[in-house]
Amino acid sequence: MVDRRLTWLAAVVLIWGTAIFLKLISLQVIHHREFLNKAAARQEISIEIPAPRGTLFSRSGRRLAMSVSSDSVYVNPMKLPDIGVASELLALALGMDRGELESRLRDAYNAHRGFLWVKRKISEEEAESLRKLPIDWIFIQHESQRHYPNGSLAAHVLGSVNSEEKGNAGIEMYLDSELRGVPGKERVLTDARRHNISSRISIPPKPGTSLTLTIDEQVQFVAERELAQAVESHNAISGSVVVMDPNTGDILAMASYPSYDPNEPVKAGAFPPERINHAIQLPFEPGSVFKVMNYSAAFDTTKLTPDTPVNCGGGVIRVGGKTIHDSHGGTGVVPAKTAFAKSSNVGAVRVGQTVGEENMYEYVRRFGFGQKTGIPLPAENKGKLRPTSRWSKVSLASISIGQEVSVTTLQLARAVSVIANGGSLVMPRLILKEGDRAVPVSAPVRIIKPETAFTMRAMMENVVLNGTGSRARLDGYTGGGKTGSAQIFDVKAGHYSHTYNGSYVGFAPATNPRIVVAVTVNGTRGEGGFGGVTSAPVFKAVATEALREFDVPKDIPETIPPTLVAKTESADDLAISDLENSSNSILSDDDASDDAAAVAAEAARTPGPKVPNFKGKTMRAVLAEAAAKGLTVLPDGSGIARLQSPPPGAPLRQGERIRVQFAR
Amino acid sequence: MATLPAFFRKNTPAQHAPVTDPMRTARPRAERDPYALRSLPHEDILLFCKKVDNARLVREPDPQARGACWTVIGAASVVLLVVTSASVPYAASTLAGYKLESLRTEERRLLDERRNLDLEEAELLSPARLDQIAREKHLVPPVTGQVVRLDGKDGAVAMAK
Repeated sequence: MVDRRLTWLAAVVLIWGTAIFLKLISLQVIHHREFLNKAAARQEISIEIPAPRGTLFSRSGRRLAMSVSSDSVYVNPMKLPDIGVASELLALALGMDRGELESRLRDAYNAHRGFLWVKRKISEEEAESLRKLPIDWIFIQHESQRHYPNGSLAAHVLGSVNSEEKGNAGIEMYLDSELRGVPGKERVLTDARRHNISSRISIPPKPGTSLTLTIDEQVQFVAERELAQAVESHNAISGSVVVMDPNTGDILAMASYPSYDPNEPVKAGAFPPERINHAIQLPFEPGSVFKVMNYSAAFDTTKLTPDTPVNCGGGVIRVGGKTIHDSHGGTGVVPAKTAFAKSSNVGAVRVGQTVGEENMYEYVRRFGFGQKTGIPLPAENKGKLRPTSRWSKVSLASISIGQEVSVTTLQLARAVSVIANGGSLVMPRLILKEGDRAVPVSAPVRIIKPETAFTMRAMMENVVLNGTGSRARLDGYTGGGKTGSAQIFDVKAGHYSHTYNGSYVGFAPATNPRIVVAVTVNGTRGEGGFGGVTSAPVFKAVATEALREFDVPKDIPETIPPTLVAKTESADDLAISDLENSSNSILSDDDASDDAAAVAAEAARTPGPKVPNFKGKTMRAVLAEAAAKGLTVLPDGSGIARLQSPPPGAPLRQGERIRVQFAR
Repeated sequence: MATLPAFFRKNTPAQHAPVTDPMRTARPRAERDPYALRSLPHEDILLFCKKVDNARLVREPDPQARGACWTVIGAASVVLLVVTSASVPYAASTLAGYKLESLRTEERRLLDERRNLDLEEAELLSPARLDQIAREKHLVPPVTGQVVRLDGKDGAVAMAK
């Protein structure tokens, strides 16, 4: 009897154990993955690992744009206990308008939307006050927020981002894919109180690439400041400045006026005019600065030299039924360098005619006009340069003086870099480093002969010393440049108006150029709006700051005796006053004689080496003596040394160059 | 102590009780008051404590049972030790996980804070701000060559001529 009961008991226990075992097999083996996933779904939560957008640095390592995390508030309108109460509570905590918020909430509720951003990018204090509320229908999401700590500095280069941190202008837009990070995913095992126990990264985040720009923030700041001052003081409309390293193509500064603060969000679909980057997006007729290309082509393709006489025809020439004239009078036959320095339109037309249409078009193209420069910024305009097949009889003359073509300020800076670096076209570079990887400099392409570049350099230096660019003259540095004042074509009236694009493009130091600065002020009026008046001072301020910032050694004495400085001529680059007849020449005999006593007195006061007397010597003798004494002489002309600057006996400073004018 | 069987036996009907008690038989049965409340169950049970002295009882020594007891205690201890040993790493891992996650959270917070401080530094070093301060203090920018950088790196140590 007992045995039977035990047998039954054992059987029951065995069946029970077997059932448990089978269930275990089912749970642990057959449905293992299913239950594992269910458990994970209950115990684990998925968290997004933020991948911050890449930081933008200046060339000196200062932050120009960076992202920091911030909080945003959202709700599920369908699960709000009371929309009125919720809107009042949220409006109070977040400093919002209650009525507007309630309206948004009701609209979302009526549309059966389960998600609504209440406010994005809230402050730390606001987030803290919301977290303290014992409410479970307010959700706070971690987000990344873009900041531009320098405000409007380099705004047109940097651009901006929208609320989703997607670039909508500038380099933020052009290189959005590199700057934007890819957020990762993390599975976090939590306890009942949602405290993290352990975590594992399911998708690793990929932070955005940080970029180091070629922009120097100090030069950029000065460029923007001076540009704004120039535009406002001349009642102009807009303007732009490009500072460039002529050897590498590095864009050291790119300013555009008017400007904006990229921290301020822009409304979707809107594109305010201040967001236009005038340096690359708005082409204009360059005017006389384009004569640089004209003369370069002439030196390269014809027998023209700086001393070749050019007939300026009294300031008037008629081409293809159109009269081209210099604005204030004219001059007769003058050396090409004088015609260039005085920015004679007639002289430029004559030179252009010797170049010819095909060569002119070819050289203008070589200088990079009519095509994009390739700078990594969106919406770059390539300007306008029509093929020769569409040229009229006047086109060659017009292009010779910078009309019938449109260019951007960056293209001008790039073209003058060719002169400054010895004849090679460089590609503008805006990115110095991508992450830790240096971006190589593109190989320059030779487009003109080196001797042509050196000749043009001297010609442009002459513009500063004796021509229309006197306001661009630097203290302590030699420099060259070219002014330009192009009348703006009135499309409605069908003719050129009396508003101007005042430009100046120059480089410094003249002996070994380190920077090229192109300045354009658009919409100036009257003679006070010419490039020599509006833009040349901007060049001077910006170039001085850039040369100081980059520790470029001075190549002439900083303080030139007032009597030796050429008196400011008319900055009108269209006005002609013959150099030979000018009483304001830096090397005029009058100046020298008047200042002899002052120089002698200064020489007596200052110890050290003195400037030797070269007067009456041949060029060979002067050069030999200078070489023997380790001096740098800048000869001008031919024959016997007639004039020199600094004058004989003046104190000789280190690195100073002596100009000697020869004549027969 | 009166037990319930004893009690019930005591209150059994009259056929079990001795009939020799003249007082009991002679006494007339009281009339039942129709208005009296019905007695509660066990209303008439009386309970009392009865002291039992079992001090003289002595447990017989049983070495075999004691050994078994110790065996059980030992086995339980071993099992406990094994279970504890097995669970300690898990518990330690869990605790370490808590700490690790806490430290990760702290790390993220510190990284955020560092980025905020970087931003603040950048704002403070803004050229526009420095220019404004310099103007207020009537400072002028140095001329070229006036500042000599001694370390050649970031100009942190500089000398003005």
